Amino acid sequence: MQKFSALLASAYQKLGFKRLFWRIFICFWLSSLLVMIATGFVIISKYSSEDYTKRYNNDVLTQAERIVWRYEQSVTSATNRSIKLKNWITKRENRRGHLLPMLIKDETNQGIYQYRFNKVKPNERLEYSVLGPSGRFYQVFSKKPQAPRIYTQLMYRFQSLQFVFIFFASALVSALLSWSITRPLNALGSFSRRYANEQEVPPLPRTLLTRGDELSDLASDIEFMVNKTHAAASAQQQLLHDVSHELRAPLARLQVSAALIEQKTPDNRHVKQIHSDCLRIDQLIQQILDYSKLEQSNPSPEPCDIDALCNQVIDNMAVTYPAVPVEYRPDSKAQIMGFAEALLQALDNIIGNACKYSSSGDLVQITTLDRPTSVLITVRDHGPGVDEQEMSKLLQPFYRAGNKMHTNGFGLGLSIALKAIHKHKGELRMSTPDDGGLSVELILPKVVI
Amino acid sequence: MKNEKYKILLVDDDETLCALLSEFLQEEGFDVETLHTGDAATQRLLQRDDIDTVVLDIMMPGMSGLDVLRSVRAKRQVPILMLTGRGDDIDRIVGLEMGADDYLGKPCNPRELSARIKAIIRRTENSLGNGVETKPIVHTQLHGIKLDTGTRTALVNNNPLPLTSAEFNALSLLMTRAGQTITKQDMTQEVLNRPLEAYDRAMDVHISRIRQKLSAEGINDVIKSIRGVGYQMLTEQQPNQDDN
Repeated sequence: MQKFSALLASAYQKLGFKRLFWRIFICFWLSSLLVMIATGFVIISKYSSEDYTKRYNNDVLTQAERIVWRYEQSVTSATNRSIKLKNWITKRENRRGHLLPMLIKDETNQGIYQYRFNKVKPNERLEYSVLGPSGRFYQVFSKKPQAPRIYTQLMYRFQSLQFVFIFFASALVSALLSWSITRPLNALGSFSRRYANEQEVPPLPRTLLTRGDELSDLASDIEFMVNKTHAAASAQQQLLHDVSHELRAPLARLQVSAALIEQKTPDNRHVKQIHSDCLRIDQLIQQILDYSKLEQSNPSPEPCDIDALCNQVIDNMAVTYPAVPVEYRPDSKAQIMGFAEALLQALDNIIGNACKYSSSGDLVQITTLDRPTSVLITVRDHGPGVDEQEMSKLLQPFYRAGNKMHTNGFGLGLSIALKAIHKHKGELRMSTPDDGGLSVELILPKVVI
Repeated sequence: MKNEKYKILLVDDDETLCALLSEFLQEEGFDVETLHTGDAATQRLLQRDDIDTVVLDIMMPGMSGLDVLRSVRAKRQVPILMLTGRGDDIDRIVGLEMGADDYLGKPCNPRELSARIKAIIRRTENSLGNGVETKPIVHTQLHGIKLDTGTRTALVNNNPLPLTSAEFNALSLLMTRAGQTITKQDMTQEVLNRPLEAYDRAMDVHISRIRQKLSAEGINDVIKSIRGVGYQMLTEQQPNQDDN
């Protein structure tokens, strides 16, 4: 049973009944079928009930006329007149079931014939008048006709070929309608996805813009928005680039001026401060540029050798942090399709952090693992570690562990790494192992979707 | 060392920076000439060959530093130090591949610039054979490559192999210590006269250029990369197994 429901769920998933296509299709189809059935119902009930009433009235009048005729023909005692008349009419009509409930009265308001009429309520009565052969009028009361059994008639009619035709025609029309709504939506979707991936405005399909309906309005609005966004994003990139360049020029002059002072008064501690702050500003500009560079488009992913990238970063760390021992266990098969520059930045920041928070002698362990669809890189240090609550905040730009502002970083490193990993549709996980330190896991899919 | 001052040509479009730097470098004992456009620098360098080291900014309007490097390198072997915007890794590598002798990120501490200029000059002095610390002349021969440290020429199958001074130093170091792995730190120190820095790919680019030039002469896979460590020149007996 469980297996069956699981199967059903997976079929539901695969066919995608949540899709707009199916929703529109099914709603439209069902409603068109309902409308058709209702119309059929109204038409049939109207025609057939009119038909039935007419026939019923005819039957009542004919039967009443016959009874009156017979009554006038054979004048019998009033005691069993009604029974005799009933017997006669039963014989005459050949079947008892066809006797209609009615009451006939003569001009003196004397009942002459009565069949199953006692229980008929006054509001269910119909009144006719019948002229007998002798020229006398008789009052005839009968029961109002009951609604005909149209459901059976309906089913009968709908089983016809016509209904099958209607069924399929409405399905076809619904599918076409559904498709005509969802197709441009899909085209719009792929347009915006391409823009997001390539950071270049792709051409919008002309057929979308020339439809002339609300969807083409939407398409042109989206195109307008994308163009605006693109212009704003490029302007921002340009601004960042210009600002960083403009900041660096005075920074370079400042450094030379400081060095000139230093030449005249060596070992000036203020000049040393200026130098170290210049260096810090320069690093900050660099990191902001790195961060913004990750937004920029990369035309297509290239094969990246994870082992080579790790080695390059570890080499750099050996220069920057000569006292921190690094243990590297590579999986030489680890290779992904990705963006080498971004990966290098991510690894540099994560391994750099691990080394930065390790004092001399604390081992930094790096392992890579080639898995069927992804590559796992683990960077583990034995430094002070991070509080559980702080872990998610660490990924915010300019946030530093312990909210300390004095460390020699800017809190951009992990943001840069995270951005680079997201560019690969990968994951970054942090955990604090029981024996202290911090473990960072990078999961990089082999193919960027 | 020469008796007269070493002459530095400083090329940067920032005139204030040029004035400040030239004041600093003069104080350090150099003779400094400044130019602010790529065109003027190219003309000046091609006109007279009296400059000891060129300090060339890459980011200049009009003719960029790389353009200057390209047009000067074709005719002159003057040592060139590129100033690159920090982080423009591609520019650095392209500059080295086009024959720059070294690079320095900008902005930089001017003392670092002065040290780099001195390192380049020392190297050039040595290569001209009139340096103070003259090394004994060694003739080395391996894989059909012949080095003469006296005339500082390299011959491959008796055809001269054109090498920049950094490339010659690197090849000479690898050949004299063939069979041994030399770390990138040591190579940078010995070849470029300066310590290895983080993200320093100067040595890798020089090695790659040597490999290209040897490969053009039909000599392949004699310099092995030892990943994470450095480089090694294979001896003739050593079969080359896995050169990656």
